[in-house]
Amino acid sequence: MSDPRTPRARKAGLRYVFPVAAGKLARFATRLRGGGSAFPGYLTNRLSPSLLPTLAGQFDHGVVFVLGSNGKTTTTHMVSEVLRAHGLTVFTNPTGANLPQGVTSALLADATLTGRVRADVAVLEVDEGYASELADLLSPSVILSLNVQVDQLYRFYETERVADMMLEASTRATHHVVINRDDPYLSKVDASRMIAPVSFFGVAPEIVAESAHGLANATDTRSGEAGAIAHPAFAEVVAVAGREITVTVDGSAVPITLPAKGLHYAADAAAALTVAARVLGAGFDAASAGRGFANMAPAYGRGEVIPLRNDAQGEQVEFVMFKNAPSMQMNLDALDGAPERLLLAIDEGTPDVSWLYDVDLDGIDHVDVVTGEKAYQLALRLEHAGIPMGLVEPDMEKAVAYMRSLPDTTTGRQTWFVNYELMMIGRRILGHGDQEVARR
Amino acid sequence: MTLRQAQGAIVKIVQLYPQELGVTGDRGNVRALETRLERAGIPVEVVHVGIGDATPADADVVILGNGPLSAMRIVADDLRARRDELSAAIDAGVAVLAVGAGAELLSDGVALLDGEVLDGLGILPLRVERTRERRVGYVIADTVHGRLIGFEDHASEWALGEGAEVYGTVVAGKGSFPRGAGSGETIRVRNVFATNVQGPVLPLNPQLSDEILRIAAERRGHSYRAGAEHDALNALAAGARKAIEDRVGDEVFTYMKV
Ligand SMILES: [Zn+2]
Repeated sequence: MSDPRTPRARKAGLRYVFPVAAGKLARFATRLRGGGSAFPGYLTNRLSPSLLPTLAGQFDHGVVFVLGSNGKTTTTHMVSEVLRAHGLTVFTNPTGANLPQGVTSALLADATLTGRVRADVAVLEVDEGYASELADLLSPSVILSLNVQVDQLYRFYETERVADMMLEASTRATHHVVINRDDPYLSKVDASRMIAPVSFFGVAPEIVAESAHGLANATDTRSGEAGAIAHPAFAEVVAVAGREITVTVDGSAVPITLPAKGLHYAADAAAALTVAARVLGAGFDAASAGRGFANMAPAYGRGEVIPLRNDAQGEQVEFVMFKNAPSMQMNLDALDGAPERLLLAIDEGTPDVSWLYDVDLDGIDHVDVVTGEKAYQLALRLEHAGIPMGLVEPDMEKAVAYMRSLPDTTTGRQTWFVNYELMMIGRRILGHGDQEVARR
Repeated sequence: MTLRQAQGAIVKIVQLYPQELGVTGDRGNVRALETRLERAGIPVEVVHVGIGDATPADADVVILGNGPLSAMRIVADDLRARRDELSAAIDAGVAVLAVGAGAELLSDGVALLDGEVLDGLGILPLRVERTRERRVGYVIADTVHGRLIGFEDHASEWALGEGAEVYGTVVAGKGSFPRGAGSGETIRVRNVFATNVQGPVLPLNPQLSDEILRIAAERRGHSYRAGAEHDALNALAAGARKAIEDRVGDEVFTYMKV
């Protein structure tokens, strides 16, 4: 029945003391060196392949997988906070630790020496490429698939393969499959292949139509039907006013505040509410859900501002993170007018930047400094759009010094559009490198 | 930025299937040509042609972009129906840039991993074999027009037939076909350039853009030459090219196998 290579799930217990202790020691050592390395998890998985599967049976409310091209970390965080606001203890993996070794590293952080994790539910973001493998190990009760976007072609080659990876993993969900009904590939889920019933989430069509570039999900080039096929949504975004949105969940209105503006975050919120309502059943409560979202914003590095010159009263920096064309486009579409002062940055953490030419840059009217290792590629793109630039400076430190040298903005806030790696570097330069920041 | 007053006959750029074959910034190749013509004061028009649309009879440049296999399958029949028109245009000296899947569709055929062969239009003397190993990273090739520089990301090996002129000799990166002891990248057949170079290729390679524009502009009685009004574009391209030359050979994250 099961693959003989799949380690058999056992219960947490004494047999795990040695591998867990070794992993915890490795974790301690790598953290002393200042790294959040996946090595401890890798080591422990090698020493004891059956440890990770013990997680499967440990949570009363089961294991939730969050899959998607964009928004995994954000949504994992949303689901976790909403469940916490309902009184549950949540086990989760940190930012981007979404490979098997990352999940084990998270386990090592929280587990007792016998491998026990004291939590009611596990909410895990999982890399699409490992989703089925991890589902075989962890028997998730709920699998959420957020979206399929043109992303990481150097890794996945073809966008529809990513859709297939998510839908294949979803056949393993034991209780609920949660699907974005507005995603062209995902909306074509074959419900008859699933063990569990399918719940859809989405954004009301008139709201999508108002957005300059819709939801930026990948066009279906396979089935002959390019767009999504209609499904009634269990949770639907029905009103958006900046960060304040309303989502109907199973017919009831749930008002919430998003961690940052953007239709992509609204869609993530509908996804998170669907998952939470399915996990909690009758225990789901709109007020608690709203509290969960309220808790998440400040501690999260989104919608958060950081002082430009270590002066809390002075000029502030708002970071906006992108990782590919869809996320850059959605963030540009969410701007309130062209930023008064703008830093744009991209480095080798984004290997191929051909997609920069697929992004519509109408939302900005100038850039003050273009920076990062790929500053010239980015600047070349801007020049082709006729967007004036103040300075092209690949060195982020020098770019920040330049931004500090400019007069203050009338709004007291400048905007930095950065990829993940440069967000971390930018935060460190501003003296905020200590905090973990979610990779979108 | 300076702009010459646009005058004279309009140069027409046709992009085929921008929806389906446009996942790697292919719009940028069109934009590069358009921008350089605008700055040279040569009037330019861009026409997008989708499935079922008529083929414009008076194209000076045709751009075919990149896309997944499913997109190739979806446009293949429509493109085959345009074969004679496309062939005649190429014989008449129209410039064509075909990138990735676009180049493969013009070939004699694409052998897929499962043994199936996707028939191409047979316009380029070229056979394509999809490979298990993917070629990803920066690529640099020496050409008669200078260094061709960009990003490669494909799982294919080309076998060149009679009449395919090798355009580039790879000096860094993997390339698309064997050449001597090393490899080659990009072929030229008449004024058709078929390549696996992304970036997109034309913004990063003003020398190739200028070759294509010289051909296209001449068809309309213009004498195109890059001038001071292209300095900003060229300087930024030079910066981007230098950064790539300095980074070439770096490891790219590719652990997924087909
Ligand atoms: Zn400014």
